[in-house]
Amino acid sequence: MAKAKVTFSDVNVTVNVPVGTRIIELSEAVGSYIAYNCREGDCGVCLFEVIKGQENLSPVSKEESSVILTRFQEIMDGWRTTKSLDALQEKMQRENFIGKHCRLACQTQVFGDVVVAPL
Amino acid sequence: MTQPVWLSERVQWIGALDPTMRSFDIVLKTPNGTTYNAYAVRGSEGVAVIDTVKEACAEQFFTRLEAVASYDEIKVIVLNHLEPDHTGALPELMRRAPQAKLYISKSAQLMLKALLNQQDIDYTPVGTSDTVSLGDRTLRFLHTPYLHWPDTQCTYLEEEYMLFSGDVFGCHFCDERLFNDKVGDFRFAFEYYYAHIMRPFREHVLNALAILEPLRMNIIAPTHGPILRDQPKRYMQRYRELSGQRLQSEVNADEKTLVIFYISAYGSTTQMAQMIRAGAEQVAGVRASLYDMEGGDADLFVDLVEDADGILIGSPTINGDAVKPAWDLVSSFAKINVRGKLAGAFGSYGWSGEAVRMLEDRLRGLKMRLPQSGVRIKLIPSSEELEECRRYGQEAGEHLMGVNAPRVLDMADLLASRQAQV
Ligand code: FES
Ligand SMILES: [Fe+2]
Ligand SMILES: [Fe+2]
Repeated sequence: MAKAKVTFSDVNVTVNVPVGTRIIELSEAVGSYIAYNCREGDCGVCLFEVIKGQENLSPVSKEESSVILTRFQEIMDGWRTTKSLDALQEKMQRENFIGKHCRLACQTQVFGDVVVAPL
Repeated sequence: MTQPVWLSERVQWIGALDPTMRSFDIVLKTPNGTTYNAYAVRGSEGVAVIDTVKEACAEQFFTRLEAVASYDEIKVIVLNHLEPDHTGALPELMRRAPQAKLYISKSAQLMLKALLNQQDIDYTPVGTSDTVSLGDRTLRFLHTPYLHWPDTQCTYLEEEYMLFSGDVFGCHFCDERLFNDKVGDFRFAFEYYYAHIMRPFREHVLNALAILEPLRMNIIAPTHGPILRDQPKRYMQRYRELSGQRLQSEVNADEKTLVIFYISAYGSTTQMAQMIRAGAEQVAGVRASLYDMEGGDADLFVDLVEDADGILIGSPTINGDAVKPAWDLVSSFAKINVRGKLAGAFGSYGWSGEAVRMLEDRLRGLKMRLPQSGVRIKLIPSSEELEECRRYGQEAGEHLMGVNAPRVLDMADLLASRQAQV
């Protein structure tokens, strides 16, 4: 079966996976700080950042991008999650951010080498 | 009392009193209620409304506003902070004064759209040193983000040396006499508000003070609690003290601190903690310290946690749960900013070892970083198990210093090793 490499840059771990694997199947097991909740593309908790290889991920659906946007607003509302908000907001405002650098781990499948990180 | 209150010849308080409120955002206790302060500033060429109130109190706000100005005189609406307790009356105000221009901070734009649930809103984003003129009165904006939301700003009325500060310098204290030289003793409320709302943003408080301190100040008019007209600078000074370093830290810039908390029933968790510390200390640049949770209380430990780069918590499992001092400690993390700090849990157990996983879940929920899964040891640690603790500590140290060796593994192995642990 075709293989791909997924690197979680926050913990410095690379996993060899069969293509089609979803990020969420790996993130918790390697101890990356990509969180999750519903696992169904509903809650947006599993937001993560694509550092390299966005072209090797499954394309973003309409539903995914709207969940990302809603989740982003929730984050803005949750004042406890501050440290990276400035950076996050700046990035979100940059055109095309949603669905390009920022994806949902439970929705995104891997088809080639990627480097990812928690947001 | 439904009349507006004069701050000066041109400035009036048009806010709302909420004496019955007992807890704010669920987590804040407000034994004395609160106020939502909004203000109207009259210039020769129009009126500015600065902030509004919570939706449930909108009536009071509009009654006072109507006593001060007619809606068609309102030229400017300034929002220093978009949280609903200050923007609840905004949609209605915009309906009644459709000609008024909206001024918000640059970082509030997305939130405004989300708040009003509408894309095409006419507003002007402003930053430090932008001004808006009301003829013979001028409002100057000051960018003071993260106090306590990303969007927050302050507005300075130049001609009167008056600062509309938003939640900064505010507190939940309801007294209809309104001014700090008239109301009851609110010092407790002021400090409590700082500790719970502003403290997690200490760095941003310092940045804001650098902007605010040089300004001449006749009155500080926050959005909650007393209006500070008697010695307003004292309150700034107090923020300076509260946000300052306690003691000069002895830790060098290229070092990282790891704090290991533990509590032990029969000494096993203690042994584990000591080995973990020894392992962490092997990594150059790591300063690790041990604290027995029995010897202190969570309120004191929280200062330590605030400054630490990594926190490990050791608890035995008793009755299928971590012990209370461990949970108390973790609960206190909500008072500070722990996001992104390295964290972990460990502990010994007799029957089933749930405590470690439970603590880890909670730490993850606080958005801490848990790159390793915690060590759990049944009963008394053997020498191999102590070696496992040492390695755990060493890896924690390596994660802190960012020197952990890159690991490559196969998905099947990864999942199998997880299976084995659970
Ligand atoms: S876990 Fe809920 S959207 Fe991915
Ligand atoms: Fe607020
Ligand atoms: Fe507020």
